Amino acid sequence: MIRFDQVSKRYPTGQEALSELSFRVEPGEMVFITGHSGAGKSTLLKMLALIERPTRGTVTVDGRNLATARARAVPKLRRKLGMVFQDHRLLMDRTVFANVELPLVIEGIAPAERARKVRAALEKVGLLAYEKKAPVALSAGEQQRVGIARAIVGKPSLIIADEPTGNLDPQLSAEIMGLFDQFQRVGTTVLVVSHDLMLIKRTRKRVLVLDQGRLVDDVPATEVMS
Amino acid sequence: MARARKSHETAARSRPRHFAAWREQHGWGLVASLHRLGGRPLGTLMTVTVMGFALALPLTFGLLLVNLQRLGGALGQTQTISVFLNTNLHADAAQSLAGKVKSRPEVSAVVVRTPRQGMTELATMQGFGKALDALDSNPLPFVLVVTPSSDAQAAQVGTLLTWLRDRPGVAQVQDDGAWRQRLDALLSVATRAVMLLAALLSLAALLVVGNSVRLDIQSRADEISVLRLIGASPAFVRRPYLYAGVWYGLAGGLVAVLLALLLEALLNGPVARLAASYDGRLHFVGLPLWQLALVPLLAAVLGWLGARIVSARQLRRALT
Repeated sequence: MIRFDQVSKRYPTGQEALSELSFRVEPGEMVFITGHSGAGKSTLLKMLALIERPTRGTVTVDGRNLATARARAVPKLRRKLGMVFQDHRLLMDRTVFANVELPLVIEGIAPAERARKVRAALEKVGLLAYEKKAPVALSAGEQQRVGIARAIVGKPSLIIADEPTGNLDPQLSAEIMGLFDQFQRVGTTVLVVSHDLMLIKRTRKRVLVLDQGRLVDDVPATEVMS
Repeated sequence: MARARKSHETAARSRPRHFAAWREQHGWGLVASLHRLGGRPLGTLMTVTVMGFALALPLTFGLLLVNLQRLGGALGQTQTISVFLNTNLHADAAQSLAGKVKSRPEVSAVVVRTPRQGMTELATMQGFGKALDALDSNPLPFVLVVTPSSDAQAAQVGTLLTWLRDRPGVAQVQDDGAWRQRLDALLSVATRAVMLLAALLSLAALLVVGNSVRLDIQSRADEISVLRLIGASPAFVRRPYLYAGVWYGLAGGLVAVLLALLLEALLNGPVARLAASYDGRLHFVGLPLWQLALVPLLAAVLGWLGARIVSARQLRRALT
């Protein structure tokens, strides 16, 4: 599903964020990416979201080399991806429904079909009753679940989450991980960037450890100690 | 054959779907733009008002100009040349000159006014009666009142004037149409000035909309980046701002038209009184309806253009 091949990224400032990073993620796998801040986690995510391009090497998602994607093709490639952010990044002046609906509007899907898909996504994250509410009226955990509903509403085959539990207490974090676990069970590939070691240990998935832009450890799910 | 038909069917099916998607995306942009304008009503109101005033100004000047032109036109119909003959010239000499003048192609009519007619005319004017009684002989000359044909060019009238001045027995030629030419010249200067003003103020309106859209984009940097991250195309992100520009323009244009109509209503009374003193030959005219209807449309185009220029610049930075 995802293949990083000798990927290096050097910013114009001279800072090398990733150096010769190589790994593969199989379809339907759930993987944690961890490491200290500055280890290159965000750069890795930005490459998958086509915000950054590698200086050297190739990033392949679903058989497509992202390095050669034209600017015009970027929106369409991003639509195949479900992105979850640490600060959920909801539009605060719109209802929960309108937020979750957004990727479908961008896709140009008809209202009736949109409503059906939005409700299905909200039901999966357990917020069906909240569709008419404003995001501000929701708790942090609920807001994050709305963000997840928005990420999955278009049924992407790959979900990438950037510190999705960064602002949440352990119990809420566990709930969110439970959701990702469910998505994986129906065949979605899930990539979660996190530095919450406790959570990673409890969730028991494969872990990639980055340090100074290099892959220093690749722990299979079976070897994660709780 | 079957394959060709199949691909044809697919195209036919995908076209309405494509249109439906387009409609959904535009619908969202339209609603989002109204959301934005409604979200900061004071700013919207100010932008619309400023734009309305900027556009009302040339509209008002245009209104005045149209009426001045009508005034010129109404008075121009009476354009005549008065040819005063020498006092010692006899009636038959006056008649023969009148005949010569009449035969010129640029002349439509010649009226000979005898000294006696002139005297009676003067006598009917208030206050002249007694003074004229004091005269023992009629000091007035024959006068030819020449009306140039309505399609005569200014140059032709000019040659006619020189020709008349050169006739023997002519004492003086008075062109009543000269002031008309001056008015025409003045009006064409004023027309040019109004057009220039309209262009400058339209530019101002464009900048006002541009600035509002710029502020709008800046205050929505978060929303823009979210939209981009979840896969919105640059056109999708930009659309609400273009619609907003159109709304600003449309509303500003309507305000301008309302202001112009208000001014028209206010001027109507005084102008009616002025017209009455001109035997009702004049009356105030408003701007034609189709022109007024055009103002909001043109303003909408201006607003769209302003939004387009600014959004292209502002969004390029946001679109990573």
